[in-house]
Amino acid sequence: MNYFFHLLIFFNLYLILALSLNLIVGYCGLLTLAHAGYFAVGAYTYALATLKLGLGFFPALGLGMGVAVILSFAVSLPAWRFRGDFFVMLTLAVQTLIFSLCQNWFSPQAELGTWSNLTNGPLGISGVPKPAILGSSFATIGSIAGLSSVLAVLVGLIIWILVRSPWGRLLRAIRDDELAARSLGKNSRLVKVQAFMIACSLAAVSGAIYCSYVTYIEPSAASIDESILLLSMVLVGGVGNFRGPVIGAFILLAIPELLRLAQLPDSTAAHIRLLAYGGLLVLMARFRPQGLAGEYRLE
Amino acid sequence: MQILINGLISGATIALLALAFASVYLPTRVFHIALAGVFAGAPYVVWIFGQNGWPWSAGVAVALLAGIALSFACELFNHGPLDRKKAGQGLHLVSSLGLYIVIVQIVALAWGNEVKVLRQGIDSICTLFGVVVTRSQLLAALVSSVAMLGFYSWLRFSNLGLQFRALADNPTQLALFGYNTRRLRLLAFALAGLLAALSSLLTAFDVGFDPQGGLHALILAIVAVIIGGRDTFLGPVIAGFLLGLVRTQVAWHLSARWQDAVTFGLLVMFLFFLPNGLLGRKARLEAQA
Repeated sequence: MNYFFHLLIFFNLYLILALSLNLIVGYCGLLTLAHAGYFAVGAYTYALATLKLGLGFFPALGLGMGVAVILSFAVSLPAWRFRGDFFVMLTLAVQTLIFSLCQNWFSPQAELGTWSNLTNGPLGISGVPKPAILGSSFATIGSIAGLSSVLAVLVGLIIWILVRSPWGRLLRAIRDDELAARSLGKNSRLVKVQAFMIACSLAAVSGAIYCSYVTYIEPSAASIDESILLLSMVLVGGVGNFRGPVIGAFILLAIPELLRLAQLPDSTAAHIRLLAYGGLLVLMARFRPQGLAGEYRLE
Repeated sequence: MQILINGLISGATIALLALAFASVYLPTRVFHIALAGVFAGAPYVVWIFGQNGWPWSAGVAVALLAGIALSFACELFNHGPLDRKKAGQGLHLVSSLGLYIVIVQIVALAWGNEVKVLRQGIDSICTLFGVVVTRSQLLAALVSSVAMLGFYSWLRFSNLGLQFRALADNPTQLALFGYNTRRLRLLAFALAGLLAALSSLLTAFDVGFDPQGGLHALILAIVAVIIGGRDTFLGPVIAGFLLGLVRTQVAWHLSARWQDAVTFGLLVMFLFFLPNGLLGRKARLEAQA
C-alpha cells in the first residue's frame, strides 16, 4: 500500500509540473529549459521557510509561489522579444544561474539560512518537516498522498478553467499568430507574463510538495537534466490540450515501473529509462509532432 | 601572462567545438545537440584501443572516423528526413535532444558512468618564454590551431568551401542554381563530427572524460556561437577564445564555482544588447528567418 501511495505522490508531482509546463510549451508555443529551476525554487523556499521562519505548510507554499512569480520575470520578459533557438538559450541561461545559486550560495562556516549560506550548497538541506496544516501534522505517507492529490486536482481545475476561458483562447491566438492578435488590440506581452507567472508558481507548488515529502532537497533537483526530462515528458505526451500532459506524466511514471517488472539491476534500469525517453522523443519528432495525445504541432 | 595563456588554451578547445556547432548551425539552422553525444563517445574509442594494447594512433583515427560517422548518421537518418518534411527549428531541436539522450545512455550503459583518463601518470611540463604549460595543453593548443586554420583555408580557397559558404548564406538560392544542397548538408554534419571528436579527444587527454560531460562542453560552445554572431564562421572562434579568457579570469579572481554563472550572465548581456553577436550583420531579429 505504501508503494501505491508513493507512486500516487510522484504522479501528482509530475502532473502539476506537466500541466504547468504545458501552459508555456503548448499554449505560448515556447520551449523552455528552465522549469526544473522553478521546481527547485519552490522546494528551497519551502525548506527555508519551514526550517528558519517556522511557517506552516500553506504559508510556506505561498511564499515559494511568490518567489517563483518574481523570478518568472527572468524568462517572461525575454519572451517579449525572443522566440525559437534564442529563447531556448535564454531559458537555459536562467536554469544555469538558478542551479549555480543553489550549488554555490553557501560557505562552510556560516549557519544555514543566513545571508552567506542560504542554500547549504552541494550538501543540500535535510530535515525539512513534514507538512503541517492548522497544527495537525501530515506525517504518514497516506496523508501526504491525500494532500498532494487534493492539490493536484486543485491545480488541474485551475488550469482547466484557465485554458477554457477567453484568456486561454487569447493565449492560443498569440501562439498561432502574434501579429494578428496584437492588431486586434490584445496585449500579448501582458498575457505572456501572466502565463509564465502562473506556470512558474505552479512548478513551485510541486517543488514544495516534493520537498515536504522527501524532507530533503539538494541542487541536482535544479539540474539541466531534470529540465530536459520534464520537457520530454510533456512533448511525448503532447501539448496544447489537457489530456496530453496527463498522459505524459503517466508515461514518465510507467516506464520505470515496467522496467522493474523486467527485473533489471537498478543502474541499468536508470539508463534504459532515459534511453526510452530519448528514443520516444526522436520518434515523436519524426512521426507525430503533436505528441501522443496533444493538439499543438511543434514547429 | 600565465593566466592569459591558460585562458587562450582552454579557449582553443571551446572555439574548436563552437566551430563544429557553427558548421552545422549556419548552413542548416539545425540545433545539433547530438554533437554532445559525439563529444562524449569519441574518447571511449581511444580508451578501448589503449586497454587492448593496440596502437593509439590507430585509435585516434578510428575515434575521428566514428565521430564523423555518428554525426553523418544523425543527418542521414534523422535531420534530413525531418527537413524534407519541412520541420521547423523547434522540432529539429527536440529531435536532436532525443538523439543526444540516446547516444549518451548507450555510452553509459556500455562503459559505465565513472570518469576515465586517457594518459597514465602525471603530465610533464615545459616552460616557454617564462610560461609553464603542460604537454597536453601544448598539444591541445597546437592541434586546434592547425585544425581551425585548415578549416578556414578550406572554406576560403576551395571550390567546395565556396559552396559551403553559399549554403550558409542562402540555401534556397544555392539549390536553384543546381547545386546538391542535400550532399552539402551531409558534408556539414560530417565536418561537425570531425571537429567535435577532435575537440573531445584533446579535452579528454587533458582532463579525462565521462559520458555526461558532453552537454556542458557543447552548451559553452553554443554560447560562443551566439556571442560570436550566428551568421559568420569567424565569430564563434573569437567568442570561444573570449569565453576561455573570461572563465579563467573568473576562476582566478573569484572561484571556479562561479564560472558558469558568469558565462551565462555574459550570454544574457549579449542577447539583450548585442543580439547579433560580435561579428553578426546588423538586422532586427524578426527580419531573420
